[in-house]
Amino acid sequence: MDCLEFRRRLGAEPHSRAAELLAHRDSCAACAAAWERAQAFERELHAAFEVPVPEGLAERVLLAQATGERHRQTRRRQLAFALAASLLLALGLGGYGWKRMDARSLPALAVAHMPDEIHSLDLVQPIGTPAIAAGFAVRGVSLRGPAPVDVTYVHDCPVGPYKTVHLVSRVGGTPVAVLYLPHKQVAKASDFQRDGWHGRIVPLQHGTLVMLTDRGGARPFDAVARHWRVAIDGEGSAQTAQRRAVNEAPGRLAP
Amino acid sequence: MKRSGPVYLAVSSRQRQFEALTRAHAGDLYRFAYWLCGQDALAQDLVQETLLRAWKSLDALREAESAKPWLLTILRREHARLHERKTPDTVELEDNLAEDAAWASPERHGDAAELREAMSRLPHKYREPLLLQVLGGMSCDEIAAELDQQPGAVMTQLFRARQKLKSILQGGRPEAQHGLP
Repeated sequence: MDCLEFRRRLGAEPHSRAAELLAHRDSCAACAAAWERAQAFERELHAAFEVPVPEGLAERVLLAQATGERHRQTRRRQLAFALAASLLLALGLGGYGWKRMDARSLPALAVAHMPDEIHSLDLVQPIGTPAIAAGFAVRGVSLRGPAPVDVTYVHDCPVGPYKTVHLVSRVGGTPVAVLYLPHKQVAKASDFQRDGWHGRIVPLQHGTLVMLTDRGGARPFDAVARHWRVAIDGEGSAQTAQRRAVNEAPGRLAP
Repeated sequence: MKRSGPVYLAVSSRQRQFEALTRAHAGDLYRFAYWLCGQDALAQDLVQETLLRAWKSLDALREAESAKPWLLTILRREHARLHERKTPDTVELEDNLAEDAAWASPERHGDAAELREAMSRLPHKYREPLLLQVLGGMSCDEIAAELDQQPGAVMTQLFRARQKLKSILQGGRPEAQHGLP
């Protein structure tokens, strides 16, 4: 390192303790003197830069930070509370809406109707075809096929908004409540369980059949549905429906 | 009630880190800000803004040794964002600094006042690298990285900054360039 390079480095980095810098300083008296002047200047520069820091500056910053943070936490808590309240409200409204919707469903209406007619399930005496036909006639429905022989009860009952024919079929000693809803159309057959009742909904040509039983063991829904389809829709329609059911869902319903 | 649990501990640890950071570096930040903008109130605002921004991104700070350069970077950005356009290339330093024994000592007062005056007349492009070196304790390479410049250019700026300060202190007479007596 020569003197020129030494002075250049010294002017830019007077704090440097690079070995080549110190070596030149120790070998050149003029540069050693320049070194001393540079160090003295740096001390003055440091001293000049050391302006007094305003008292309590750090504490004021900490206070501002803590205050802001506390405010943010309060806002976050309020937001979380508002979100939770909104969620609860939405859940409550959703639940209420669902319950209202569910209460108007066909299974719910059918099951809700049963306590009023529970004794009808205990009847065992067949009522005969004329009475059955009269029950359907009240609803403006003419039977197109032979009525089942095991019917022990018939009555025109309102079920929710529907005007139904309420019947009881006994199959092998098991009473099955049957509600026929003229003009009510459902897309497909479905089973349900509700409040201790087992049920099945079956679409017919011009209405819907709802079957219910609260007895355990075998549930003769297939046989009951087949008999009532023949009686209400006629023999031909019942055969068509049976073929369609077999083709569409083999091993499933065969009403 | 005894407060424990992971959430409380995490928040408390972060808060303790910030308090330590503030107490350790508020003074250095203030001096840097003061020499950068030349105004006491503005310098205090810059320190507060810097530390509040640091609080928001405190998780980015991994090592205690990196704290000071990290804070200086934030402060420079804050200064640039808030005040650079309004600040002239040279600054008028205020005289209403708090009295301080060392500052006001007779043997130093004259030198310090002259140097303060000289610093106020030093162009920004020389003042900033000099502050980063003297107050920030940064090397040429670190300053170059901070200012997004070449190390050689930074060395030149630092050399010229000292030359200009000495020149101003000597009443405008340029110091012997490389003084090879």
